[in-house]
Amino acid sequence: MTHTDTPIVRVEHVHKFFRRGSERLDVLQDLTLDVPEGEFLGLMGPSGSGKTTLLNLIAGIDSPSEGDVWVQDERISAMGEGQLAHWRTRHVGFVFQFYHLLPVLSAYENVELPLLLLGLSAARRREQVLNALDLVGLSDRIRHRPGQLSGGQQQRVGIARALVTDPVLIVADEPTGDLDARSAEEILDLLGAVSKSLKKTILMVTHDPRAARRADRILHLEKGQLVEQATVV
Amino acid sequence: MKLLSLIVKNVGRNLLRSALTALGTMVLVLVVTLVWSVLHLIDLVTEEKSHDVKAFISERWSVPSRLPYSYASSLCEGAARADHPEDIHPTDAMAWQFYGGTLDPKNPSMKSMVFCIACDPRKVPTMMSGLEGLSATEDAELHRSVERLLAKRDGIILGRNHLLALSQKSKDGKQSMLEDPLGRKFSLSGFSNFKGLDFDFEICGVFPPGRYDTLAVINRDYYNAALDAYPPSHAGVPHPMADRSLSLVVIKVDDMQAYNRVAEQITTSLRFQNPQVKCETESSGVGSFLDAYRDLLWIMRVPLTLACLGTLALVLANAISISVRERRTEMAVLKVLGFRPGQIMFLVIGESVLLGLLAGFTGAGLTYMTINWGFHGLSFPMGFFPVFMIPINALWWGVAVGTGAALAGSLVPALSASRVKPAEVFSKVA
Amino acid sequence: MQGELIVSELVRLALTDPRSLWVLLGLAVGMVLLLLAVNRIPLSYTLRNLSLRWRTTLMTSLAFTLVVGLMVVMLAFTTGMQRMTDGSGQPGNVIVLAEGSIDEAFSNLNVEDLGEIENLPGVRRDEAGQRLASRESYLIVKQPVPHPKPGRSDSRFLQVRGITDAAIAAKVHNIQLKSGSWFSAAGVEDRSGVDSKAAPAIQAVLGEGVAGELAADRTPEEAAAGKNPHRLDVGDRFRLGEKDWVVTGILKSSGATCNSEIWANRAKVGPVFGRENVTTLVLSTADADAAVQLRDFLKNNYAKANILPQVEKEYYAGLSETNQQFLFAIIVITTIMSIGGIFGVMNTMFAAISNRIKDIGVLRILGYARWQILVSFLLESLVIALLGGLLGCALGSLANGLTVNSVVGQGGGGKFVVLELVVDANIWTAGIFVTLLMGGLGGLVPALSAVRLKPLEALR
Repeated sequence: MTHTDTPIVRVEHVHKFFRRGSERLDVLQDLTLDVPEGEFLGLMGPSGSGKTTLLNLIAGIDSPSEGDVWVQDERISAMGEGQLAHWRTRHVGFVFQFYHLLPVLSAYENVELPLLLLGLSAARRREQVLNALDLVGLSDRIRHRPGQLSGGQQQRVGIARALVTDPVLIVADEPTGDLDARSAEEILDLLGAVSKSLKKTILMVTHDPRAARRADRILHLEKGQLVEQATVV
Repeated sequence: MKLLSLIVKNVGRNLLRSALTALGTMVLVLVVTLVWSVLHLIDLVTEEKSHDVKAFISERWSVPSRLPYSYASSLCEGAARADHPEDIHPTDAMAWQFYGGTLDPKNPSMKSMVFCIACDPRKVPTMMSGLEGLSATEDAELHRSVERLLAKRDGIILGRNHLLALSQKSKDGKQSMLEDPLGRKFSLSGFSNFKGLDFDFEICGVFPPGRYDTLAVINRDYYNAALDAYPPSHAGVPHPMADRSLSLVVIKVDDMQAYNRVAEQITTSLRFQNPQVKCETESSGVGSFLDAYRDLLWIMRVPLTLACLGTLALVLANAISISVRERRTEMAVLKVLGFRPGQIMFLVIGESVLLGLLAGFTGAGLTYMTINWGFHGLSFPMGFFPVFMIPINALWWGVAVGTGAALAGSLVPALSASRVKPAEVFSKVA
Repeated sequence: MQGELIVSELVRLALTDPRSLWVLLGLAVGMVLLLLAVNRIPLSYTLRNLSLRWRTTLMTSLAFTLVVGLMVVMLAFTTGMQRMTDGSGQPGNVIVLAEGSIDEAFSNLNVEDLGEIENLPGVRRDEAGQRLASRESYLIVKQPVPHPKPGRSDSRFLQVRGITDAAIAAKVHNIQLKSGSWFSAAGVEDRSGVDSKAAPAIQAVLGEGVAGELAADRTPEEAAAGKNPHRLDVGDRFRLGEKDWVVTGILKSSGATCNSEIWANRAKVGPVFGRENVTTLVLSTADADAAVQLRDFLKNNYAKANILPQVEKEYYAGLSETNQQFLFAIIVITTIMSIGGIFGVMNTMFAAISNRIKDIGVLRILGYARWQILVSFLLESLVIALLGGLLGCALGSLANGLTVNSVVGQGGGGKFVVLELVVDANIWTAGIFVTLLMGGLGGLVPALSAVRLKPLEALR
């Protein structure tokens, strides 16, 4: 696995806590992390360890209580909500555990959704959507609605949606959590191919050891802190 | 009881939805209550009574009715002949002479006009319709006003609207007419057919809010004295109204049989030929006047009411459908636990009916209080009814309308809920 | 009091200046177009969700249909009434009543005063040099209904206008006959050569509305024998004031108050009903300006008689006071019912948002801004409203052309009229505006609640 050494993601002394009434819950504590460009990084840890929270901070869906998050030299932790929305469309692709496709839209239309915010022409959008769906092997399913697709196919659509804007970063939160073993393998193969061929930086939260094996590096979180790193050979 | 408790809890489950549904129900019940109050009063006054029948005697052909005052005493006796002991006398009678005067003779307008009935004040509490159901306080005050009018020939009992007009007129900084009208003096200048008949009045009473807001009552002796005094100051020429000052005679008889006899006495009498007179029951007289509004009343009775009830049923049906759809899993669980389809239907219908009933009652109640106490009646332009009061029955209308619409609207969703198949639901959930 | 003034002014504007409605609709449509222009979430998403929940969509839309449809029918009534009062009277006529009269029925002119007034310079003449001035007696008379329908009164009020000279009156009022001819100078039918002891029938010309009203008194046999099954026509007879009357002509009067009048010779009418006075003098001038001049002269400079002169158009416009009261009542009822409809659509939208919380979360994560979510849900609410509102306008329009009875006029006086319901472009404008307003208001609060959701919370 080759990737550049320039960290595309920098997490510096990040703290994240939530308030539940008068109680303060510390989810992440003084966490520092660099992710080089092109790396396929796995985040593992027990429930409540903060791995999804860390993913959300890097994806710009949430903001740290303290510390900074940099993606491609942009300090996203200082951005306001509107700026983050604008940034996310152009820089991040998100893959959900439960796919979260809009049920009344077809596969094509679901993948097209983020492109509608970029002011592209209809022809250009069409080209990109078809490329993305072709990449995930669903060119023959573009008119199907989520209800007409299997779990694995729905997740492929989710991945196509995540890729269609050519983001610098793909974040996947337990992408195989709702899939059977075979479908899960297919999805992981796909993510691996995306990482290698498109040289995309992928951050994946997972409980699945099989998924972890696909990653270049595994980070373990426990009680909001990184406890060990492992590089997968 | 457990089911009822479950129904109550279900209503409180989504407070926002229940609140919106209740508010929508209350608002629509408000419209129905207003409309039905108008129709209710009109139906009451046009309903033929079987006893204590009131009848109007007026000019046979023309409106406004103008009869010679010499007709009055005979008509008040029902044209009963002294030498015919079998002739029926009314149990009570009242002669009306209309007078119209303006507060502003230089700029007469509808707003400055005061329309008066000159009559025997003693007859006001017993013979003027709409004054029967007064509270004890209002009734006592009315009687005191009548006593004052009897004692004061130039007195006047006013409707509330005229007090408002008078209070606007007197901008001299003195205490408002509305608060302390008794003893206040003002003048009226006759207009139209009453031109030349000008009067000074002293307020000796106010009608309770409602039907007589736009009317006034004066002493007939005062009015007739002015008519008698007209010729000497006008080169001996009598006032044009002098021989046609009687507008209406109201009589009361025991029942319809007595009415028919008296009507025959009057219409066959040779004393009333020029002009001829007509005798009709109060309900018939009001009915013929309202006949011109029959299409409007039909629009209120049918399309408007149906539209309100339909909208209400749709609002309730929509709310309960959404609720049932969101709780399909729950319905399936109830079935698995052993609830029968009828019980599930009862739960759904019960939820809707409870909401409809409470909202309907509240809506009607708020309408009653707001219109009657806040606005002193609903002002709606229909003939000589200046205002319509909301009857106390309206509370039951609200309950009936809310419950009925809820029942109608919830039948289909309830049926749908009762037919939920647990196996289908759980396979989807899995 | 202030509120009353504001509402009265709005009512007056709505009645007299429909442009205000068009402006409001223009603004509303402009807002909708703006929403469509800035909307980024595909409209197909909105439409498909509506069709997915078609029962809810249908029920909510139908509520709009009922509210708007009813509003259209009620406005058709007031528009018909307005058209009637607007269509009555001639711009160049001055109507003279007795001073202080609130209506013709209460007027009593002094006949000695009329000759001089008729000969004033402003009053125009016809080709034969005759003064175009019509002396009239306007009466409201009671007529027993021979065969009252169930629930209907056994008597009715009719408007009879006694005319001194039919030919002059026709020129003054610029009115033609639809059929038949004017009554003769004698005012009664010519019975010469007829061997009958019965008094000759009084000749009358009827407005189409009252001709239809009186036709309802006919037995089925009489109706079958008549020329026109729907109304009395030339040659038909009716009974009024214990006299026989015969129809000599039908007025071309649709859209005017004389549509509900019976015109006959004044000399014959007066004795029948005991009203032989002149109530009204109508003077014809060259044009509207001349009428104003004559009115002003009579009002300010003519002291020889106690009269109330008015430009005829203004007199009939004043009758629309009842209309304004009805319009106010309609506005109140429509507003209240609309509020009920708004609560209904709010329920639907809150439920829709609740069902699509995850969609909202995904859209936010994908980068859609809060306001874009707001726009999408607002459009959804507006589509529901438009579906129902347009159908309501269409169904309400079926009332166009129907005739109804009513009363126009000021309190104490009034004219019983048969008027035609009119659904015009202004009513459609009002219907669509109310639809968009209800849809917008009903969708706004739920849409605002949708945009407050945080993406992560939405996805949990």
